[in-house]
Amino acid sequence: MLLAGGQGSRLMALTRKVAKPAVPFGGKYRIIDFPLSNCVNSGIDTVGVLTQYQPLELNAYIGNGQPWDLDRSDGGVHILPPYVQEGDKGTWYKGTANAIYQNLSFLEQYDPEYVLILSGDHIYKMDYSEMLLHHRQTKAACTISVMEVPMAEASRFGIMNVDENDRIYEFEEKPKKPRSNLASMGIYIFTWSKLREYLIADEADEKSANDFGKNIIPAMLDAGETMSAYRFSGYWKDVGTIDSLWDANMDMLSADGGFNLYDPDWPIYARAAAQPPHFTGANAEITHSIVTSGCGIYGKVENSVLFHSVTVEEGAQVRYSILMPGTVVKAGAVVEYTIVAERGSIGAGAHVGSAPTGGEDWGITVVAQEVRVGSGSLVPAKAMVTRNVKGVKI
Amino acid sequence: MNDLHGIIFAYRQNPDLRELAQRRNTCSIPYGGRYRLVDFALSNLVNAGVSDVGLIVHTSYQSLLDHVGSGKDWDLSRKHGGLRILPPFGFSGKHQSGHYRGRMDALAGVYSYLQNIRQDHVVLTSGDLAANLPIAEAFEQHLQSGADITALCTPVSQADPRMTNYFTLDSGGAVTDILVSPPVPKGDTSLETYILSKALLLNLVDRCAAHDIPSFSQGVLLAARGRLKLRGYRFDGYAARIQSVADYFQRSMELLDPQVRASLFRPGRPIKTKDQSNPSTYYGPEARSANSLISDGCIIEGTVVNSILSRGVRVEKGARVENCILMQRTSIQSDAVLRYAITDKNVRVCPGRMLMGHGTYPLVIAKNEIV
Repeated sequence: MLLAGGQGSRLMALTRKVAKPAVPFGGKYRIIDFPLSNCVNSGIDTVGVLTQYQPLELNAYIGNGQPWDLDRSDGGVHILPPYVQEGDKGTWYKGTANAIYQNLSFLEQYDPEYVLILSGDHIYKMDYSEMLLHHRQTKAACTISVMEVPMAEASRFGIMNVDENDRIYEFEEKPKKPRSNLASMGIYIFTWSKLREYLIADEADEKSANDFGKNIIPAMLDAGETMSAYRFSGYWKDVGTIDSLWDANMDMLSADGGFNLYDPDWPIYARAAAQPPHFTGANAEITHSIVTSGCGIYGKVENSVLFHSVTVEEGAQVRYSILMPGTVVKAGAVVEYTIVAERGSIGAGAHVGSAPTGGEDWGITVVAQEVRVGSGSLVPAKAMVTRNVKGVKI
Repeated sequence: MNDLHGIIFAYRQNPDLRELAQRRNTCSIPYGGRYRLVDFALSNLVNAGVSDVGLIVHTSYQSLLDHVGSGKDWDLSRKHGGLRILPPFGFSGKHQSGHYRGRMDALAGVYSYLQNIRQDHVVLTSGDLAANLPIAEAFEQHLQSGADITALCTPVSQADPRMTNYFTLDSGGAVTDILVSPPVPKGDTSLETYILSKALLLNLVDRCAAHDIPSFSQGVLLAARGRLKLRGYRFDGYAARIQSVADYFQRSMELLDPQVRASLFRPGRPIKTKDQSNPSTYYGPEARSANSLISDGCIIEGTVVNSILSRGVRVEKGARVENCILMQRTSIQSDAVLRYAITDKNVRVCPGRMLMGHGTYPLVIAKNEIV
């Protein structure tokens, strides 16, 4: 069960029209491709995707699940939006646990032994079948995937305190004085009968926030259920903010960074656009960057991630930037430390973003979907451009 | 449902393609980086609203089958109709050589399939033609003109005239003369794409079988003069028929011209191909790529100039690739130099090797070879 209904409000202009899981990532992908591909690579063939906020693009993207081999006659991918129930009882999803609760009848249809709960906002590769093996071996009611984080940062996470057998005895949400550095990754495996029991009890409690981290996990711990921590090591990144999204995209530029997109044993699948190969012009200079089909590169591209159908005209310079599908950077423009959302346009001679100054007021610049930055205009660092910017006569 | 049915001829063996067609059918030769030749015929049909397509194959079609699969990448995996692959099932032509001697022989070989076609009209096309054809418009013209057969043709002259048919058109578009494989070309070059009714097609197949005429050019085109209303549909865009290695190299390199690409890859009529879920292409810190067409999934750390790279190609540090066509998963290791070479799938060129062909005779390295 993949929770994909969140708005991702900290991605600001990037999630105005799409849910966070549908935000483009890593040249060819959208964020949701990572958990979905992990499912398929782990041998999971029945996936529910719970949607709520701005679902149109996400629904269209997932479609019948064919790119992930999830177009199946038995199982496959199911989009699960909230719905009106008998006697007008239906509501929006109130929290992560409530979202699953509202789909109990979906789960009952399949009557599984175990249920894996995922969120659609993390970039990582993980074999859930190994986590399931751990869950079965420890005979746990719930297994939570954890990873070690630096002690200094532990207070930003949900922290699991475990005994010598990695059995969880305490869970602390963003503790001021953390006693362990095992952070929850928001990936849970539940034994289905237990999950069902606790979801029904949680729904009956009117004071509950209906959230896994805040309610379900503490309730299970209080009741003395066997709760096991599954240790994960490897690349894992939350891409919930502009900075972390930019960072994680930059990580895709070097396999040494811990994430190898080119690994044939763990492919990440995506719905691809039918575009011809990209073309590099006679004066193109592309270094330490990734470029996708349909692009036309005639200028200079350094340390950047270019999605499909991006044009960088002659004399334009793109540095440390992320250009989402259909972006056009006109002749002589400079784009640096910037994220340009789909079909954005940067006018000739414009200068968008700037290199880090070390100051407080510096940050990544964002140009929202379909926004045109006029020729010759100057867009400063950390700006969030959501409307067309008028050009200036040069 | 569109009233047009598609038949793609993909049975021909072509010795002039040397190593490229050694282990595959001409139609499954990689072209333009991420495509196979047959992608153009399939996409042209689908873009014209054709929902049922028969693909006639004979030998060495394993690679072609692997590529087209169920046809789902072209939206041709359907409950009714869709893509049907037609191997020579129960073919007992009069001639026992085992090969189809021509297109009429091939059509006779799939006769029961032809009888069951649900549409009233059929478009016959060739799987070795790279062009973005407006088949819907040609079909419209065919219906309005009342022609018996509409032949798609181009005023731009194509390769070897001895392997090509030519039409002379009058001002109204009617065919006034037909030249079959002439020594000297005259008129418009045939794109070997014809629209006709199902009834006429069956009639012609019967007639040719009865007279033992295996060739479409002989049995239909030449025999049609004075008996059938033959019209041309002139196509001005880019078209390339691939018939030899030199053709292949030259026609591939033409793709580096932006006008050729604009004619071949149109936003409204996309060319679709098998999806392989490749990541984007990565350029290393010292990479250089100029005037080249590069597919997804490549890792480029060396220099690539005037070249076309298929998916998953690797060019290591210090390696130099000029005027080359590198097919899927070719690996050019450090400091190797290649000029005017075509490397087939999975070729590996070891560090420091130097390989050079010439523009008129490019060096071809066969599939899976290690240099």
